[in-house]
Amino acid sequence: MSTNTNSAKKSGSKTKSFFKSPARVTLLIAGIFLIISLVEVITGATDISSPGTSGATLRFAIPLLMAGLGGLWAERAGVINIGLEGMMIVGTWTAAWFGYLHGPVIGILAAAFFGLASGFFHAIMTVKIGIDQAVSGLAINLIAAGAARYLSGIFFPPVGGDRTVSPPVDTLPSFSIPIIAPILKSIDEKEIFFVSNIAGLLYGVTKELSVVTVGFLLLVPLTSWILWRSKFGLRMRFSGENPMAAESLGINVYRTRYIAISVSGMLASLGGAYLALVASSVYREGQTAGRGFIGLATVIFGNWKPSGVFAGSILFGFTDAIRVRQAESVTALILAAGFVALLLSIFYTSSRRWKPAASYFTIGLVALWINQSVETIPQEFVTVFPNVATLLVLTFLAQRLTPPAMAGMPYRRGSE
Amino acid sequence: MSNVLEVVGIEKRYPGVVANKDVSIQIEAGTIHAIIGENGAGKSTLMKTLYGLIKPDAGQIKVFGSEVNLKSPQDAIALGIGMVHQHFKLADNATVLENVILGSEPTRFGFVVKFDEARKKLVEIAENYGLDIDPDEPLSNLGVGERQRVEIAKVLFRGAKILILDEPTAVLVPQEVDELFANLRELVKKGLTVIFISHKLDEVLSIADDITIMRQGTTVATRKPNKTNKKELAELMVGGELPKPKAGELKVSPESILSIKSASYFRADGRQILDDVNLELHGGEIIGLAGVEGNGQSELIELIMGLIQPATGSVEVLGLNAATTLTRDIRNAGVAYIPQDRQRDGLLMTAPLWENRILGHQFAEPMAKSIWVNKGAAIADSKRVVSEFDVRTPGINVLASALSGGNQQKFIVGRELTGDPKLIVAAQPTRGVDVGAQAIIWEHLMQARSKGAGILLISADLEELFSLSDRIAVIYSGKIVSILNPTKTTPEDLGLAMTGAQSA
Repeated sequence: MSTNTNSAKKSGSKTKSFFKSPARVTLLIAGIFLIISLVEVITGATDISSPGTSGATLRFAIPLLMAGLGGLWAERAGVINIGLEGMMIVGTWTAAWFGYLHGPVIGILAAAFFGLASGFFHAIMTVKIGIDQAVSGLAINLIAAGAARYLSGIFFPPVGGDRTVSPPVDTLPSFSIPIIAPILKSIDEKEIFFVSNIAGLLYGVTKELSVVTVGFLLLVPLTSWILWRSKFGLRMRFSGENPMAAESLGINVYRTRYIAISVSGMLASLGGAYLALVASSVYREGQTAGRGFIGLATVIFGNWKPSGVFAGSILFGFTDAIRVRQAESVTALILAAGFVALLLSIFYTSSRRWKPAASYFTIGLVALWINQSVETIPQEFVTVFPNVATLLVLTFLAQRLTPPAMAGMPYRRGSE
Repeated sequence: MSNVLEVVGIEKRYPGVVANKDVSIQIEAGTIHAIIGENGAGKSTLMKTLYGLIKPDAGQIKVFGSEVNLKSPQDAIALGIGMVHQHFKLADNATVLENVILGSEPTRFGFVVKFDEARKKLVEIAENYGLDIDPDEPLSNLGVGERQRVEIAKVLFRGAKILILDEPTAVLVPQEVDELFANLRELVKKGLTVIFISHKLDEVLSIADDITIMRQGTTVATRKPNKTNKKELAELMVGGELPKPKAGELKVSPESILSIKSASYFRADGRQILDDVNLELHGGEIIGLAGVEGNGQSELIELIMGLIQPATGSVEVLGLNAATTLTRDIRNAGVAYIPQDRQRDGLLMTAPLWENRILGHQFAEPMAKSIWVNKGAAIADSKRVVSEFDVRTPGINVLASALSGGNQQKFIVGRELTGDPKLIVAAQPTRGVDVGAQAIIWEHLMQARSKGAGILLISADLEELFSLSDRIAVIYSGKIVSILNPTKTTPEDLGLAMTGAQSA
């Protein structure tokens, strides 16, 4: 135990000293953009930092973000929510159907309500009855998918004999941020190296913003605030870290988990609502396409922190956007990844940590080799890219992750 | 001086066991009051009663002069009684401050935690009582001694005036013990009262103002440390007379079936658990291993069963090197193992008895037939065990969890003694079983001995050790401190050896 703590101490302080300093983080991000700008010049794949890509990234990222935040809420309270995918389906269907009947605002509210209910169901299963958390989550995924198909058949008017698509729903209002967006646009069009790349990227995320997008993005700082500043958050975290300790101090772990898991369901369902109402304007069967599971991966990627979940969903959203918009960009990205790996290798060499230096050097060389020797990346690889990226990230980060200690463990009141 | 806490005639019974009876203690304000006793002497039951976790069947508790009725730990906390648990209740992935304030957070509007105010209060407490802790340190960075200070701070943060420390030194290294004692002295200097549970005589004599001794569920005496000595305390703890050994014909075979030579073992965190252990067991004899729990017994058993490897030295079981032999092969060579935690290591609680009968014998005839389990043989032999060992069960198809503890234990002993094993490692074979079951288990162990098996008996029950053992080895902080002859040993010798006083 204490060896663990010692190693945690060492690695913890090292990562902190590097990543906690804001100046360095800014420098790091700027460096990455510099590399991307360079790569764009070298390869001519100009789409990586175009406003279209950044806008698409955001649209792809929001559902993942919501699923991820949902997963975060549940796991911080100590219950793993495999049912995120099913809860997103609940959101897509209810948002579309109630949106069609009563307008998109009611659609969003309905998705929130039914998501809350699906989360509450998961809480009853796992907290009260004590069913295995994975089993309950899988059951929710299966039930939601089946119920959505069944209810579509009953309620949706047939569109050319197809009952898997809902009637279209009115769109929600969107806006461009005044003053800033036009300025960014003009800079982007001037095509200045590096500066325009950044401007283009920012322009993509400031124009035609849906109010829903803005609202959902605000949930990231809100979740952080709840977790680390509020009484409920403190108790929720201890319910996930050491429920026995929490219970011994008079905290109602069951109630805390009920609330957290219900909110988890609501967030995932709202992510589904985004897919149906903002990213498109209909419910379509299979619309969630495994985003609940990628959302779960962002929780791990983000080390169970809201900001990390945000970063993870942006990364996965970005790979998605690239896949959809311009497959050639993947080759360029591999080149960029190669450069980053080589830079990291230099960084580790300078601090005399030979092992990571050597492995990053190898990765860099392999990436450059792939870039040089492969003409076009096969479409299959591009499709699977987000999953591979997840796998790689998790492999490299696994040593430093600090998951809630009791997440996924069954807990009965009064146990020691 | 006034009594802050007074316990009069507390009694607590469980079905078949009296955990506490006639327990009476007076604790003066501003003192460190130690409560000592062996395992099972009733210390923990008493502490749980004082902390509101257990409701006594009879007796009175007076706190600050007035009689109280403690229904829950919250009641105890409200009266100013705080408990520092032996097993820390802390979360690694949070800061010291968060761990301390959890459950009694100062808030604004009922939901925003006023961290600044809480930090100020904690720093004040830490300075006032000389506790060296940093509120913003992540708990994962802290060592055991510091974690204990956090637990103490947690109790003080809730305004405790009486602190109960349940075997606080059990987890500490000597240097940390010194720090803890300095902290405790500081606490009583500021007017708090400390109740200190221990079974280490040296420690108690050095820190306590009063010492109350418990034995077999009752308080037997209270002494001042300057008017007593280790000898007297050991005698009071163990009792006036030791059980008489059973006369049994001793036919020790010359061959050694278990030979441990200067074995040592370190835990993953570097703490030494076993230190130069030497033990030689022959066929036909029973060696009892006496010692307060947590002095290396569990690790010694695991070494013998090949579950862990010694850092130095060697463990030879029936001629096999236990460090390099699979546990499966050790068992197949003729080693029976009665684990100390029957529900965790001895049985599959949710499997029927006949399946449990197969456990540990799943690779050998008759329980296995090539790659298949022989269900017929398992059922037949389960029936034999049930009748031979008088296991009270409606049938062999019921789940192990349906049996009472004593019957579970009889079933395990029956299973393990099947096939005349040559070495039997019996850890607490009769813990928590009734007298009838105890007699049956003892009888079968003695029978196995007369058939030539060597038995290593690890027990906290002195009666068991003295009734069965041919020799008694005493283990204290990972060392075999003495080997006693049960017919000639006095309670004093045993008490001194078990509490480590002999070596001093």
